[in-house]
Amino acid sequence: MAVELKTIEHLCELSKLNYDEDGLKKVMGEMGDIINLMDEIKEFDLVYDDTKDGNEIRFGDTREDVPAESFPTEKLLANAENTDGCYVVPKVVE
Amino acid sequence: MDLTKAKIRDLRKALDNKEISAPELCAEYLKRIDEQDGKLLSYITVTKEKALSDAENAQKIIDAGKSSALTGIPLAVKDNICVDGVRTTCASKMLENFIPPYNATVIEKLNAQGYVLLGRASMDEFAMGGSTQTSAFAKTRNPYDLERVPGGSSGGSAAAVAASLAPASLGSDTGGSIRQPSSFCGVTGIKPTYGRVSRYGLVAFASSLDQIGPICNDARDCAIMLNAICGADAHDATSARVETPDFTEKLGQPIKGLKIALPKEFFSDAVDSSVKACVLDAAHELEKQGAVLVECSMPGLKYAIPAYYLIACAEAASNLSRFDGIKYGFRGEGRTYEELIRDSRSRGFGEEVKRRILLGNYALSSGYYDAYYKKALALKQEIIRQYNQIFEQADVILTPTAPTPAYKIGEQDNDPVKMYTADICTVTVNIAKLPGISTTCGYTADKGLPVGMSIIGKRFDEQTILQVADAWESGFVPLAPKL
Repeated sequence: MAVELKTIEHLCELSKLNYDEDGLKKVMGEMGDIINLMDEIKEFDLVYDDTKDGNEIRFGDTREDVPAESFPTEKLLANAENTDGCYVVPKVVE
Repeated sequence: MDLTKAKIRDLRKALDNKEISAPELCAEYLKRIDEQDGKLLSYITVTKEKALSDAENAQKIIDAGKSSALTGIPLAVKDNICVDGVRTTCASKMLENFIPPYNATVIEKLNAQGYVLLGRASMDEFAMGGSTQTSAFAKTRNPYDLERVPGGSSGGSAAAVAASLAPASLGSDTGGSIRQPSSFCGVTGIKPTYGRVSRYGLVAFASSLDQIGPICNDARDCAIMLNAICGADAHDATSARVETPDFTEKLGQPIKGLKIALPKEFFSDAVDSSVKACVLDAAHELEKQGAVLVECSMPGLKYAIPAYYLIACAEAASNLSRFDGIKYGFRGEGRTYEELIRDSRSRGFGEEVKRRILLGNYALSSGYYDAYYKKALALKQEIIRQYNQIFEQADVILTPTAPTPAYKIGEQDNDPVKMYTADICTVTVNIAKLPGISTTCGYTADKGLPVGMSIIGKRFDEQTILQVADAWESGFVPLAPKL
Protein backbone atom coordinates (compact mmCIF):
# COMPACT_ATOMS: atom_id res chain seq x y z
CA MET A 1 0.00 0.00 0.00
CA ALA A 2 1.41 3.37 -0.94
CA VAL A 3 1.13 6.02 1.74
CA GLU A 4 -0.40 9.27 0.60
CA LEU A 5 1.48 12.54 0.96
CA LYS A 6 -1.24 14.03 3.14
CA THR A 7 -0.99 11.05 5.54
CA ILE A 8 2.75 11.53 5.91
CA GLU A 9 2.31 15.25 6.38
CA HIS A 10 -0.28 14.56 9.10
CA LEU A 11 2.11 12.12 10.81
CA CYS A 12 4.91 14.70 10.64
CA GLU A 13 2.60 17.16 12.32
CA LEU A 14 1.73 14.68 15.09
CA SER A 15 5.39 13.73 15.48
CA LYS A 16 6.73 17.30 15.33
CA LEU A 17 9.17 16.41 12.57
CA ASN A 18 10.22 18.22 9.40
CA TYR A 19 11.45 16.66 6.16
CA ASP A 20 12.68 18.44 3.06
CA GLU A 21 11.19 17.44 -0.32
CA ASP A 22 13.64 14.59 -0.99
CA GLY A 23 13.41 13.35 2.58
CA LEU A 24 9.63 13.30 2.39
CA LYS A 25 9.69 11.20 -0.81
CA LYS A 26 12.12 8.76 0.75
CA VAL A 27 10.18 8.37 3.97
CA MET A 28 6.91 7.93 2.03
CA GLY A 29 8.42 4.90 0.30
CA GLU A 30 9.83 3.46 3.51
CA MET A 31 6.61 3.98 5.46
CA GLY A 32 4.67 2.31 2.64
CA ASP A 33 6.83 -0.81 2.99
CA ILE A 34 6.61 -0.75 6.80
CA ILE A 35 2.82 -0.34 6.80
CA ASN A 36 2.51 -3.24 4.35
CA LEU A 37 4.35 -5.36 6.91
CA MET A 38 2.09 -4.09 9.71
CA ASP A 39 -1.00 -4.86 7.61
CA GLU A 40 -0.34 -8.58 8.07
CA ILE A 41 -1.87 -8.20 11.52
CA LYS A 42 -5.25 -7.49 9.94
CA GLU A 43 -5.57 -11.18 9.05
CA PHE A 44 -5.64 -12.01 12.73
CA ASP A 45 -9.21 -12.03 13.94
CA LEU A 46 -9.27 -11.85 17.71
CA VAL A 47 -10.47 -8.86 19.68
CA TYR A 48 -8.54 -7.18 22.47
CA ASP A 49 -10.04 -7.76 25.89
CA ASP A 50 -8.85 -5.03 28.21
CA THR A 51 -10.17 -6.83 31.29
CA LYS A 52 -7.57 -9.53 30.74
CA ASP A 53 -4.62 -7.23 30.21
CA GLY A 54 -1.76 -6.64 32.62
CA ASN A 55 -2.67 -9.48 34.97
CA GLU A 56 0.47 -11.50 34.32
CA ILE A 57 2.59 -9.83 36.96
CA ARG A 58 1.62 -8.33 40.28
CA PHE A 59 3.26 -4.96 40.53
CA GLY A 60 3.67 -3.06 43.73
CA ASP A 61 1.01 -1.01 45.36
CA THR A 62 1.60 2.68 44.97
CA ARG A 63 3.96 3.97 47.62
CA GLU A 64 2.88 6.20 50.45
CA ASP A 65 2.70 9.87 49.57
CA VAL A 66 5.52 10.90 51.85
CA PRO A 67 7.44 14.10 51.09
CA ALA A 68 11.04 13.33 50.18
CA GLU A 69 14.08 15.31 49.23
CA SER A 70 14.12 16.28 45.58
CA PHE A 71 16.86 17.36 43.20
CA PRO A 72 18.35 20.84 43.48
CA THR A 73 17.00 23.18 40.78
CA GLU A 74 20.51 24.07 39.54
CA LYS A 75 21.28 20.39 38.92
CA LEU A 76 18.08 19.86 36.95
CA LEU A 77 18.64 22.96 34.86
CA ALA A 78 22.28 22.10 34.16
CA ASN A 79 21.38 20.33 30.91
CA ALA A 80 19.15 23.06 29.53
CA GLU A 81 20.36 25.86 27.30
CA ASN A 82 19.69 29.56 27.87
CA THR A 83 18.64 29.17 31.46
CA ASP A 84 18.29 31.96 33.93
CA GLY A 85 16.65 29.92 36.63
CA CYS A 86 14.01 29.10 33.97
CA TYR A 87 13.78 27.40 30.57
CA VAL A 88 14.10 30.21 28.04
CA VAL A 89 12.31 29.70 24.72
CA PRO A 90 11.47 31.97 21.77
CA LYS A 91 8.58 34.37 22.15
CA VAL A 92 5.29 32.67 21.29
CA VAL A 93 3.42 35.92 20.61
CA GLU A 94 4.44 37.35 17.24
CA MET B 1 47.17 -11.27 34.19
CA ASP B 2 45.54 -12.80 31.12
CA LEU B 3 42.18 -11.12 30.78
CA THR B 4 41.02 -13.06 27.73
CA LYS B 5 37.52 -14.30 28.51
CA ALA B 6 38.20 -13.64 32.22
CA LYS B 7 35.17 -14.47 34.34
CA ILE B 8 33.87 -12.27 37.15
CA ARG B 9 34.37 -15.07 39.66
CA ASP B 10 38.02 -15.59 38.59
CA LEU B 11 38.68 -11.88 38.96
CA ARG B 12 36.96 -11.92 42.35
CA LYS B 13 39.33 -14.66 43.50
CA ALA B 14 42.37 -12.84 42.13
CA LEU B 15 41.33 -9.59 43.86
CA ASP B 16 40.55 -11.23 47.20
CA ASN B 17 43.78 -13.28 47.13
CA LYS B 18 45.74 -10.08 46.35
CA GLU B 19 47.10 -11.52 43.12
CA ILE B 20 46.12 -8.20 41.58
CA SER B 21 44.78 -4.96 43.05
CA ALA B 22 41.58 -3.28 41.86
CA PRO B 23 43.51 -0.28 40.41
CA GLU B 24 45.89 -2.66 38.58
CA LEU B 25 43.00 -4.67 37.17
CA CYS B 26 41.24 -1.48 36.09
CA ALA B 27 44.44 -0.20 34.44
CA GLU B 28 44.83 -3.50 32.54
CA TYR B 29 41.33 -3.18 31.07
CA LEU B 30 41.86 0.51 30.25
CA LYS B 31 45.07 -0.46 28.44
CA ARG B 32 43.24 -3.11 26.40
CA ILE B 33 40.52 -0.60 25.53
CA ASP B 34 43.15 1.93 24.52
CA GLU B 35 44.94 -0.58 22.29
CA GLN B 36 41.96 -2.34 20.72
CA ASP B 37 38.81 -0.29 20.80
CA GLY B 38 39.95 1.96 17.97
CA LYS B 39 39.02 -0.78 15.51
CA LEU B 40 36.05 -2.16 17.45
CA LEU B 41 34.31 1.05 18.63
CA SER B 42 32.48 -0.67 21.45
CA TYR B 43 32.65 2.34 23.77
CA ILE B 44 31.19 5.81 23.24
CA THR B 45 32.87 7.18 26.36
CA VAL B 46 35.73 5.65 28.35
CA THR B 47 35.49 6.99 31.90
CA LYS B 48 39.18 6.61 32.69
CA GLU B 49 39.46 8.99 35.64
CA LYS B 50 36.26 7.77 37.27
CA ALA B 51 37.30 4.16 36.71
CA LEU B 52 40.62 4.64 38.47
CA SER B 53 38.97 6.51 41.32
CA ASP B 54 36.25 3.79 41.61
CA ALA B 55 39.03 1.20 41.70
CA GLU B 56 40.90 3.00 44.49
CA ASN B 57 37.71 3.05 46.56
CA ALA B 58 37.06 -0.62 45.79
CA GLN B 59 40.53 -1.54 46.96
CA LYS B 60 39.83 0.03 50.35
CA ILE B 61 36.73 -2.20 50.69
CA ILE B 62 38.76 -5.26 49.68
CA ASP B 63 41.55 -4.38 52.12
CA ALA B 64 38.96 -4.09 54.87
CA GLY B 65 37.84 -7.64 54.05
CA LYS B 66 34.35 -6.46 53.14
CA SER B 67 34.21 -7.22 49.44
CA SER B 68 30.99 -8.26 47.70
CA ALA B 69 30.74 -10.20 44.42
CA LEU B 70 31.36 -7.13 42.25
CA THR B 71 33.75 -5.08 44.41
CA GLY B 72 36.54 -3.87 42.14
CA ILE B 73 35.06 -5.60 39.07
CA PRO B 74 35.29 -3.32 36.02
CA LEU B 75 32.07 -3.14 33.95
CA ALA B 76 30.81 -1.45 30.81
CA VAL B 77 27.35 0.12 30.97
CA LYS B 78 25.09 0.69 27.97
CA ASP B 79 24.80 4.37 27.16
CA ASN B 80 21.07 4.56 27.93
CA ILE B 81 21.40 3.86 31.66
CA CYS B 82 21.80 7.05 33.69
CA VAL B 83 24.98 7.49 35.72
CA ASP B 84 25.12 10.62 37.86
CA GLY B 85 27.62 13.07 36.40
CA VAL B 86 28.62 10.83 33.48
CA ARG B 87 27.55 11.74 29.94
CA THR B 88 24.71 9.45 28.83
CA THR B 89 23.98 9.89 25.14
CA CYS B 90 21.67 7.03 24.06
CA ALA B 91 23.97 7.15 21.00
CA SER B 92 21.94 10.11 19.81
CA LYS B 93 22.85 13.62 18.79
CA MET B 94 19.74 14.56 20.79
CA LEU B 95 21.54 13.70 24.04
CA GLU B 96 25.11 14.31 22.89
CA ASN B 97 25.90 16.48 25.93
CA PHE B 98 23.38 15.15 28.43
CA ILE B 99 24.75 14.57 31.92
CA PRO B 100 22.21 12.87 34.20
CA PRO B 101 21.65 14.43 37.60
CA TYR B 102 20.96 11.03 39.19
CA ASN B 103 21.85 7.34 39.07
CA ALA B 104 19.64 4.60 37.67
CA THR B 105 18.64 2.14 40.40
CA VAL B 106 20.86 -0.57 38.86
CA ILE B 107 23.82 1.81 39.14
CA GLU B 108 22.99 2.52 42.80
CA LYS B 109 22.97 -1.23 43.38
CA LEU B 110 26.32 -1.70 41.61
CA ASN B 111 27.76 1.24 43.53
CA ALA B 112 26.69 -0.44 46.77
CA GLN B 113 28.95 -3.34 45.79
CA GLY B 114 31.86 -1.08 44.79
CA TYR B 115 31.96 -1.83 41.04
CA VAL B 116 34.23 0.05 38.66
CA LEU B 117 32.73 1.90 35.66
CA LEU B 118 35.02 1.44 32.63
CA GLY B 119 32.83 3.40 30.27
CA ARG B 120 29.65 3.76 28.31
CA ALA B 121 29.00 1.10 25.71
CA SER B 122 27.70 2.00 22.27
CA MET B 123 24.25 1.03 21.08
CA ASP B 124 21.69 1.72 18.38
CA GLU B 125 20.25 5.20 18.77
CA PHE B 126 17.67 5.11 21.59
CA ALA B 127 18.03 1.28 21.45
CA MET B 128 16.22 1.20 18.10
CA GLY B 129 17.97 -1.27 15.85
CA GLY B 130 19.70 -4.62 15.71
CA SER B 131 23.13 -3.67 14.38
CA THR B 132 24.55 -0.75 16.43
CA GLN B 133 24.95 0.99 13.07
CA THR B 134 22.34 3.62 13.95
CA SER B 135 24.64 4.90 16.72
CA ALA B 136 25.47 8.56 16.13
CA PHE B 137 28.90 8.19 17.75
CA ALA B 138 30.37 4.67 17.56
CA LYS B 139 29.23 2.18 14.94
CA THR B 140 30.54 -0.91 16.71
CA ARG B 141 32.08 -3.80 14.76
CA ASN B 142 31.90 -7.52 15.45
CA PRO B 143 35.05 -8.86 17.17
CA TYR B 144 34.82 -12.10 15.15
CA ASP B 145 34.82 -10.23 11.84
CA LEU B 146 35.34 -6.48 11.77
CA GLU B 147 33.35 -6.21 8.54
CA ARG B 148 30.23 -7.50 10.28
CA VAL B 149 27.77 -5.99 12.73
CA PRO B 150 27.88 -6.90 16.44
CA GLY B 151 24.08 -7.01 16.58
CA GLY B 152 22.10 -4.59 18.65
CA SER B 153 20.89 -2.60 20.16
CA SER B 154 23.34 -3.49 23.00
CA GLY B 155 26.08 -4.13 20.42
CA GLY B 156 28.77 -2.20 22.31
CA SER B 157 28.01 -4.09 25.54
CA ALA B 158 28.28 -7.46 23.78
CA ALA B 159 31.34 -6.62 21.66
CA ALA B 160 33.24 -5.24 24.67
CA VAL B 161 32.72 -8.49 26.60
CA ALA B 162 33.52 -10.68 23.57
CA ALA B 163 36.78 -8.80 22.97
CA SER B 164 37.65 -8.87 26.70
CA LEU B 165 37.47 -5.08 26.93
CA ALA B 166 35.24 -5.66 29.98
CA PRO B 167 34.52 -8.89 31.86
CA ALA B 168 30.79 -8.10 31.86
CA SER B 169 28.41 -5.33 30.96
CA LEU B 170 24.87 -4.08 31.34
CA GLY B 171 22.55 -3.89 28.35
CA SER B 172 18.84 -3.36 27.85
CA ASP B 173 16.38 -5.49 25.92
CA THR B 174 13.09 -4.28 24.38
CA GLY B 175 12.76 -6.84 21.58
CA GLY B 176 16.00 -8.84 21.73
CA SER B 177 18.60 -6.14 22.32
CA ILE B 178 20.57 -8.15 24.88
CA ARG B 179 20.09 -11.62 23.40
CA GLN B 180 20.69 -10.94 19.69
CA PRO B 181 24.04 -9.10 20.11
CA SER B 182 25.08 -11.79 22.61
CA SER B 183 24.38 -14.33 19.86
CA PHE B 184 26.29 -12.36 17.19
CA CYS B 185 29.29 -11.78 19.49
CA GLY B 186 29.51 -15.24 21.06
CA VAL B 187 28.73 -14.24 24.65
CA THR B 188 25.91 -14.95 27.12
CA GLY B 189 23.18 -12.41 27.84
CA ILE B 190 19.98 -12.62 29.83
CA LYS B 191 16.80 -10.59 29.60
CA PRO B 192 15.13 -10.96 32.98
CA THR B 193 11.36 -11.20 33.47
CA TYR B 194 9.68 -7.83 33.01
CA GLY B 195 9.55 -6.27 36.47
CA ARG B 196 12.52 -8.21 37.85
CA VAL B 197 14.93 -5.27 37.46
CA SER B 198 14.04 -1.64 38.10
CA ARG B 199 13.84 0.52 34.97
CA TYR B 200 14.34 3.74 36.94
CA GLY B 201 17.05 5.65 35.14
CA LEU B 202 16.85 3.62 31.94
CA VAL B 203 16.03 6.04 29.11
CA ALA B 204 12.64 4.77 27.96
CA PHE B 205 12.05 3.27 24.53
CA ALA B 206 8.92 1.12 25.05
CA SER B 207 8.02 1.07 28.72
CA SER B 208 5.95 -2.14 28.72
CA LEU B 209 8.79 -4.08 27.07
CA ASP B 210 12.12 -2.56 28.23
CA GLN B 211 14.23 -4.49 30.70
CA ILE B 212 17.85 -4.14 31.87
CA GLY B 213 20.05 -7.23 32.00
CA PRO B 214 23.68 -8.39 32.00
CA ILE B 215 25.94 -9.61 29.19
CA CYS B 216 28.78 -11.83 30.38
CA ASN B 217 31.13 -14.61 29.35
CA ASP B 218 28.83 -17.30 30.68
CA ALA B 219 25.60 -18.06 32.55
CA ARG B 220 27.37 -18.27 35.92
CA ASP B 221 28.55 -14.69 35.62
CA CYS B 222 25.06 -13.65 34.49
CA ALA B 223 23.70 -15.13 37.73
CA ILE B 224 26.22 -13.13 39.77
CA MET B 225 25.24 -9.93 37.95
CA LEU B 226 21.52 -10.63 38.38
CA ASN B 227 22.01 -11.13 42.12
CA ALA B 228 23.40 -7.60 42.22
CA ILE B 229 20.83 -5.72 40.15
CA CYS B 230 17.41 -7.31 40.82
CA GLY B 231 14.75 -6.26 43.28
CA ALA B 232 11.65 -4.15 43.74
CA ASP B 233 12.13 -0.40 43.65
CA ALA B 234 9.91 2.36 44.97
CA HIS B 235 11.03 4.52 42.03
CA ASP B 236 9.58 2.09 39.47
CA ALA B 237 5.90 1.20 39.80
CA THR B 238 6.42 -1.63 37.29
CA SER B 239 9.10 -3.36 39.31
CA ALA B 240 7.47 -6.49 40.66
CA ARG B 241 7.09 -7.15 44.35
CA VAL B 242 8.48 -10.66 44.25
CA GLU B 243 11.20 -12.31 46.24
CA THR B 244 14.66 -12.20 44.69
CA PRO B 245 16.19 -15.66 44.88
CA ASP B 246 19.89 -16.54 44.75
CA PHE B 247 20.30 -16.92 40.98
CA THR B 248 23.38 -19.13 41.42
CA GLU B 249 21.42 -21.67 43.45
CA LYS B 250 20.47 -24.10 40.66
CA LEU B 251 23.73 -23.84 38.71
CA GLY B 252 25.40 -27.21 38.33
CA GLN B 253 22.26 -29.16 39.19
CA PRO B 254 21.53 -31.96 36.68
CA ILE B 255 18.87 -31.28 34.06
CA LYS B 256 17.67 -34.90 33.97
CA GLY B 257 13.94 -35.07 33.34
CA LEU B 258 13.67 -31.35 32.55
CA LYS B 259 11.27 -30.78 29.64
CA ILE B 260 12.53 -28.55 26.81
CA ALA B 261 9.97 -27.42 24.21
CA LEU B 262 10.95 -26.73 20.61
CA PRO B 263 8.18 -24.70 18.91
CA LYS B 264 8.29 -25.68 15.23
CA GLU B 265 7.64 -22.15 13.93
CA PHE B 266 11.02 -21.03 15.31
CA PHE B 267 12.72 -23.55 13.04
CA SER B 268 11.02 -22.53 9.78
CA ASP B 269 12.68 -21.74 6.44
CA ALA B 270 13.11 -18.14 7.59
CA VAL B 271 15.97 -19.39 9.80
CA ASP B 272 19.37 -20.13 8.21
CA SER B 273 20.13 -23.83 7.94
CA SER B 274 23.50 -23.32 9.68
CA VAL B 275 21.73 -21.75 12.66
CA LYS B 276 19.05 -24.46 12.81
CA ALA B 277 21.69 -27.20 12.71
CA CYS B 278 23.68 -25.68 15.61
CA VAL B 279 20.59 -25.19 17.80
CA LEU B 280 19.18 -28.66 17.12
CA ASP B 281 22.58 -30.25 17.80
CA ALA B 282 22.66 -28.45 21.12
CA ALA B 283 19.12 -29.65 21.88
CA HIS B 284 20.24 -33.24 21.33
CA GLU B 285 23.27 -32.70 23.57
CA LEU B 286 20.92 -31.52 26.31
CA GLU B 287 18.82 -34.61 25.65
CA LYS B 288 21.94 -36.72 26.26
CA GLN B 289 22.22 -35.03 29.64
CA GLY B 290 18.73 -36.34 30.45
CA ALA B 291 16.47 -33.52 29.29
CA VAL B 292 13.28 -34.47 27.46
CA LEU B 293 12.60 -32.70 24.15
CA VAL B 294 8.97 -31.76 23.54
CA GLU B 295 7.60 -30.76 20.14
CA CYS B 296 5.09 -27.92 20.21
CA SER B 297 3.66 -25.06 18.19
CA MET B 298 3.30 -21.30 18.46
CA PRO B 299 1.10 -20.19 15.54
CA GLY B 300 1.00 -16.61 16.83
CA LEU B 301 4.64 -16.15 15.81
CA LYS B 302 3.41 -15.41 12.28
CA TYR B 303 2.08 -12.03 13.45
CA ALA B 304 4.69 -11.30 16.09
CA ILE B 305 6.69 -8.72 14.11
CA PRO B 306 3.79 -6.36 13.35
CA ALA B 307 2.40 -6.82 16.88
CA TYR B 308 5.76 -5.98 18.43
CA TYR B 309 6.55 -3.01 16.19
CA LEU B 310 3.10 -1.50 16.61
CA ILE B 311 3.24 -1.70 20.41
CA ALA B 312 6.92 -0.70 20.71
CA CYS B 313 6.67 2.22 18.29
CA ALA B 314 3.41 3.50 19.80
CA GLU B 315 5.12 3.61 23.19
CA ALA B 316 8.28 5.10 21.67
CA ALA B 317 6.31 7.89 19.98
CA SER B 318 4.86 8.78 23.36
CA ASN B 319 8.10 8.40 25.33
CA LEU B 320 10.20 10.38 22.87
CA SER B 321 7.74 13.27 22.81
CA ARG B 322 9.65 14.58 25.84
CA PHE B 323 12.56 15.55 23.58
CA ASP B 324 11.54 19.04 22.58
CA GLY B 325 14.86 20.88 22.76
CA ILE B 326 13.67 22.87 25.75
CA LYS B 327 14.32 21.06 29.01
CA TYR B 328 17.49 19.26 27.94
CA GLY B 329 19.08 17.78 24.87
CA PHE B 330 19.80 19.17 21.42
CA ARG B 331 18.24 22.57 20.75
CA GLY B 332 17.55 23.60 17.17
CA GLU B 333 16.47 26.96 15.86
CA GLY B 334 13.16 28.63 15.24
CA ARG B 335 11.33 31.90 15.49
CA THR B 336 8.45 30.31 17.38
CA TYR B 337 8.02 27.59 19.98
CA GLU B 338 6.58 25.22 17.33
CA GLU B 339 9.45 25.84 14.92
CA LEU B 340 11.98 25.35 17.68
CA ILE B 341 10.54 21.98 18.70
CA ARG B 342 10.25 20.68 15.14
CA ASP B 343 13.76 21.78 14.22
CA SER B 344 15.22 20.31 17.43
CA ARG B 345 13.58 16.93 16.83
CA SER B 346 14.26 16.82 13.10
CA ARG B 347 17.98 17.49 13.52
CA GLY B 348 18.44 15.76 16.89
CA PHE B 349 16.98 12.35 15.98
CA GLY B 350 18.44 9.95 13.42
CA GLU B 351 16.46 8.45 10.53
CA GLU B 352 15.50 5.15 12.20
CA VAL B 353 14.24 6.87 15.34
CA LYS B 354 12.14 9.23 13.22
CA ARG B 355 10.65 6.33 11.23
CA ARG B 356 9.60 4.62 14.46
CA ILE B 357 8.03 7.79 15.84
CA LEU B 358 6.05 8.16 12.60
CA LEU B 359 4.91 4.52 12.75
CA GLY B 360 3.93 4.87 16.41
CA ASN B 361 1.85 7.95 15.73
CA TYR B 362 0.28 6.22 12.73
CA ALA B 363 -0.81 3.29 14.93
CA LEU B 364 -2.21 5.62 17.58
CA SER B 365 -3.89 8.13 15.31
CA SER B 366 -7.61 8.51 14.79
CA GLY B 367 -8.96 6.01 12.26
CA TYR B 368 -6.06 3.57 12.67
CA TYR B 369 -6.00 2.93 16.42
CA ASP B 370 -8.43 -0.02 16.39
CA ALA B 371 -7.05 -1.58 13.22
CA TYR B 372 -3.43 -1.51 14.34
CA TYR B 373 -2.74 -0.74 17.99
CA LYS B 374 -5.69 -2.58 19.53
CA LYS B 375 -5.16 -5.48 17.16
CA ALA B 376 -1.54 -5.65 18.33
CA LEU B 377 -2.73 -5.74 21.94
CA ALA B 378 -5.12 -8.60 21.06
CA LEU B 379 -2.21 -10.46 19.57
CA LYS B 380 -0.13 -9.82 22.69
CA GLN B 381 -2.86 -11.56 24.72
CA GLU B 382 -2.87 -14.47 22.28
CA ILE B 383 0.92 -14.85 22.41
CA ILE B 384 0.79 -14.88 26.23
CA ARG B 385 -1.92 -17.57 26.04
CA GLN B 386 0.15 -19.68 23.66
CA TYR B 387 3.26 -19.42 25.85
CA ASN B 388 1.19 -20.40 28.91
CA GLN B 389 -0.08 -23.42 26.99
CA ILE B 390 3.48 -24.51 26.08
CA PHE B 391 4.60 -24.10 29.69
CA GLU B 392 1.88 -26.52 30.78
CA GLN B 393 3.91 -29.26 29.10
CA ALA B 394 7.48 -27.95 29.34
CA ASP B 395 9.85 -26.29 31.81
CA VAL B 396 11.73 -24.18 29.27
CA ILE B 397 11.60 -23.39 25.56
CA LEU B 398 14.59 -23.58 23.21
CA THR B 399 14.82 -21.48 20.03
CA PRO B 400 17.45 -19.86 17.83
CA THR B 401 18.28 -16.35 19.07
CA ALA B 402 18.45 -14.86 15.57
CA PRO B 403 17.60 -16.23 12.12
CA THR B 404 21.18 -15.63 10.90
CA PRO B 405 24.68 -15.19 12.26
CA ALA B 406 26.19 -11.67 12.17
CA TYR B 407 25.71 -10.09 8.74
CA LYS B 408 27.93 -7.65 6.84
CA ILE B 409 27.84 -3.96 7.76
CA GLY B 410 25.58 -2.16 5.30
CA GLU B 411 23.65 -5.27 4.29
CA GLN B 412 20.39 -4.13 5.89
CA ASP B 413 20.87 -0.37 5.48
CA ASN B 414 17.90 1.38 3.88
CA ASP B 415 15.72 -1.68 4.31
CA PRO B 416 13.70 -1.27 7.50
CA VAL B 417 11.43 -4.21 6.68
CA LYS B 418 14.40 -6.60 6.49
CA MET B 419 15.76 -5.11 9.72
CA TYR B 420 12.45 -5.56 11.54
CA THR B 421 11.76 -9.13 10.39
CA ALA B 422 15.21 -10.19 11.65
CA ASP B 423 13.83 -9.79 15.19
CA ILE B 424 11.38 -12.68 14.77
CA CYS B 425 13.06 -15.04 17.25
CA THR B 426 13.23 -12.63 20.18
CA VAL B 427 10.27 -10.21 20.27
CA THR B 428 7.61 -12.57 21.65
CA VAL B 429 9.62 -13.01 24.85
CA ASN B 430 9.29 -9.28 25.56
CA ILE B 431 5.64 -9.25 24.54
CA ALA B 432 4.92 -12.07 27.03
CA LYS B 433 7.18 -10.53 29.72
CA LEU B 434 9.22 -13.75 30.02
CA PRO B 435 12.91 -14.24 30.87
CA GLY B 436 15.23 -15.41 28.10
CA ILE B 437 18.95 -16.16 27.95
CA SER B 438 21.11 -16.47 24.85
CA THR B 439 24.25 -18.58 24.91
CA THR B 440 26.60 -19.65 22.15
CA CYS B 441 25.75 -23.09 20.77
CA GLY B 442 28.30 -23.29 17.95
CA TYR B 443 30.13 -21.52 15.14
CA THR B 444 29.37 -21.49 11.43
CA ALA B 445 31.53 -23.98 9.56
CA ASP B 446 32.63 -21.61 6.81
CA LYS B 447 33.32 -18.32 8.61
CA GLY B 448 33.56 -19.30 12.27
CA LEU B 449 30.83 -16.87 13.29
CA PRO B 450 29.10 -17.51 16.63
CA VAL B 451 25.56 -18.89 16.66
CA GLY B 452 23.32 -18.33 19.67
CA MET B 453 20.41 -20.26 21.09
CA SER B 454 17.80 -18.86 23.45
CA ILE B 455 16.38 -20.60 26.47
CA ILE B 456 13.07 -19.05 27.49
CA GLY B 457 11.58 -19.61 30.94
CA LYS B 458 8.40 -19.11 32.89
CA ARG B 459 7.88 -15.70 34.44
CA PHE B 460 10.34 -15.15 37.31
CA ASP B 461 12.02 -18.52 36.70
CA GLU B 462 15.41 -17.17 35.67
CA GLN B 463 16.99 -19.86 37.85
CA THR B 464 15.94 -22.68 35.52
CA ILE B 465 17.07 -21.00 32.30
CA LEU B 466 20.41 -20.21 33.95
CA GLN B 467 20.63 -23.85 35.02
CA VAL B 468 20.02 -25.10 31.46
CA ALA B 469 22.42 -22.58 29.90
CA ASP B 470 25.06 -23.56 32.45
CA ALA B 471 24.50 -27.27 31.78
CA TRP B 472 25.12 -26.62 28.09
CA GLU B 473 28.14 -24.37 28.68
CA SER B 474 29.76 -26.93 31.01
CA GLY B 475 30.46 -29.11 27.97
CA PHE B 476 31.10 -26.38 25.41
CA VAL B 477 34.43 -24.77 24.57
CA PRO B 478 33.94 -21.17 23.39
CA LEU B 479 36.39 -19.71 20.88
CA ALA B 480 37.76 -16.26 21.62
CA PRO B 481 37.81 -13.81 18.69
CA LYS B 482 41.18 -13.05 17.13
CA LEU B 483 41.51 -9.31 17.07
